[in-house]
Amino acid sequence: MVITAASTVDVVRETFPQAVVEIVESNGEQTIVLKPEYLLTVCAHLRDKLGYDFLETVTALDWLERVPRYDVVYHVLSYSNRCFIRLKVRVGERGEEYPVVPSVVRIWPAANWYEREVYDMFGIKFSNHPDLRRILMPPDWTTHPLRKDYPLSGFDLPEPHWGGQVPYDVDPGVGSYYEQSLRSAEGRQVDDPRRALNPNQEPGTLPQSNEETL
Amino acid sequence: MQQKEKLSIPAGTSYSLEEGSPLVDGRHDDTMTINMGPQHPSTHGVLRLILTIDGETIVKAVPDIGFLHTGIEKTAESKSYHQALVLTDRMEYLSPLCNNLAYSLSVERLLGIEDQINEKIKHARVVLAELQRIASHLIWLGTSALDLGAQSMFLYCFREREVILDIFEMVSGVRMMTSYICPGGLQAELPPGFDQKVRDFLDYFPERLHEYHDLLSNNQLFLDRTKDVCKITREQAIAYGATGPVLRGSGVVWDIRKVFPYSGYEKFEFDIPVGSNGDVYDRYLVRMLEMEESMKIIRQALDGMPTGPYRVLDRKVAPPPKWQITGNMEALIHHFKLFTEGYRPPKGEAFVRTEAPKGELAIYMVSDGSPKPYRMHVRAPSFGNLQVLPVMIEGSLLSDVIAAIGSVDLMLGEVDR
Repeated sequence: MVITAASTVDVVRETFPQAVVEIVESNGEQTIVLKPEYLLTVCAHLRDKLGYDFLETVTALDWLERVPRYDVVYHVLSYSNRCFIRLKVRVGERGEEYPVVPSVVRIWPAANWYEREVYDMFGIKFSNHPDLRRILMPPDWTTHPLRKDYPLSGFDLPEPHWGGQVPYDVDPGVGSYYEQSLRSAEGRQVDDPRRALNPNQEPGTLPQSNEETL
Repeated sequence: MQQKEKLSIPAGTSYSLEEGSPLVDGRHDDTMTINMGPQHPSTHGVLRLILTIDGETIVKAVPDIGFLHTGIEKTAESKSYHQALVLTDRMEYLSPLCNNLAYSLSVERLLGIEDQINEKIKHARVVLAELQRIASHLIWLGTSALDLGAQSMFLYCFREREVILDIFEMVSGVRMMTSYICPGGLQAELPPGFDQKVRDFLDYFPERLHEYHDLLSNNQLFLDRTKDVCKITREQAIAYGATGPVLRGSGVVWDIRKVFPYSGYEKFEFDIPVGSNGDVYDRYLVRMLEMEESMKIIRQALDGMPTGPYRVLDRKVAPPPKWQITGNMEALIHHFKLFTEGYRPPKGEAFVRTEAPKGELAIYMVSDGSPKPYRMHVRAPSFGNLQVLPVMIEGSLLSDVIAAIGSVDLMLGEVDR
């Protein structure tokens, strides 16, 4: 039997009717949306029975207003059958800070770094991952940059690297020192931590109390 | 070359960046954890390898990446589709045209204008992408041979690459960050004399390639450093996500240009060079032979190059020619709309694979119907190949790490994006 993306969809739908949420075809590419609890079962079946031996990439999409909020997207490919398929898992209930998805590292070892990247960028955790830590951002970073509510630029993040103090804090091109304000991605003004700083303060030290500085 | 038996690390040993040394249980007392990089000259960028060594044998290798992280995927979400093109140049800065091609194909699939791309555009794209492949492989050849002590190769390879960059400059005005291949076609018409200049290069390059084979392929010093060094098996390469020459060096016959042809590759005749051992030498030979195949493809593409417009005529995607703007109101409106707002692909997603010089470069674009990409994910070939590096070097000698890094052909700009 020749296995193609379309026949894979049929097999998955017949074998795991309880696991499939939805099947989408977009631009000639087949997508199977799965329930997270069945992900490992379906993936093991895909690898062992249908020859999908190569995991190309794992990534995520953040749909800010939707519940569940995130799509975790897997692209898998079969070298023997020359076909590919996309799997999706929807996670992230309202107010859930770190959604959890089962890790597929046991099935495809290549998933290791891709899942670390998704954790780093979106804050989605992978259960049973052997080494889940940040990969691109610094290890003591606390926020997740590719989330849609993360500003494109701006200094109002609680990051240890900035620590309430902005490096290179005087931009000679923009107004006077106390008139400068910080902007987030939407252009809104945020509370300026530089106002609390003493201009004579040594860079890297903690700010003095406000009474002394102002 | 005799290699020491691979030492096993007790289960449950965690390796974090802070805690790099293995357990002290008497057996591993004499291991040492050293840092290679991020500024080591052979790491080709800023790659840090945390190596645990026992004498000269690598017991454990942990790559630490992220030093070149520039947030290209995040930035792309705030740019229009046309503006995000220039970001792709900066990912893999030794083969920007191949990145442009992957990006353009994915946007074209989102827009549904794939069948409007005419033969002339496809041929021109293939010529440029294959020239770029040769240029990228030349950099790899020069630098990896330099790491192994062949200093003259470095100068020779840069001399040849400069000719290719001259062609790019002639075409686009820029040597490296060309952004010349864009969604909808090409940025500008191919200049007169392009064909001849590429043919001149094709005429003299085989002779040079022959010289390189003479210098390296049977050189005993080079063979000693590369044969049977840092092997990976076919199964390991597939499981850990290697693509491109690393995968083919291990004997997997797989080339996206053949399997899922894009941009008209199905019309050209070429072979897929494949290794058998999966060692450094096989990966070297695969790339050397790929350059010859690229020349074959370029010659066929040039011979069959038809005439035609260099961009699609759909004015919702490609801007009208400048001379129309002063005389035609629709042209002016189209121009204004394109450069202020951009185009709006329908909702959907597209995952386009291409065979970049380093491996499988795939771009996953998601559109929500707005003029900016909702998400651009780049499946960078070096990211996958770097994951294989620890598998390759664990158990081998410290000096072979340099040969292995060279043979994987890493590009940290694309690993970190």
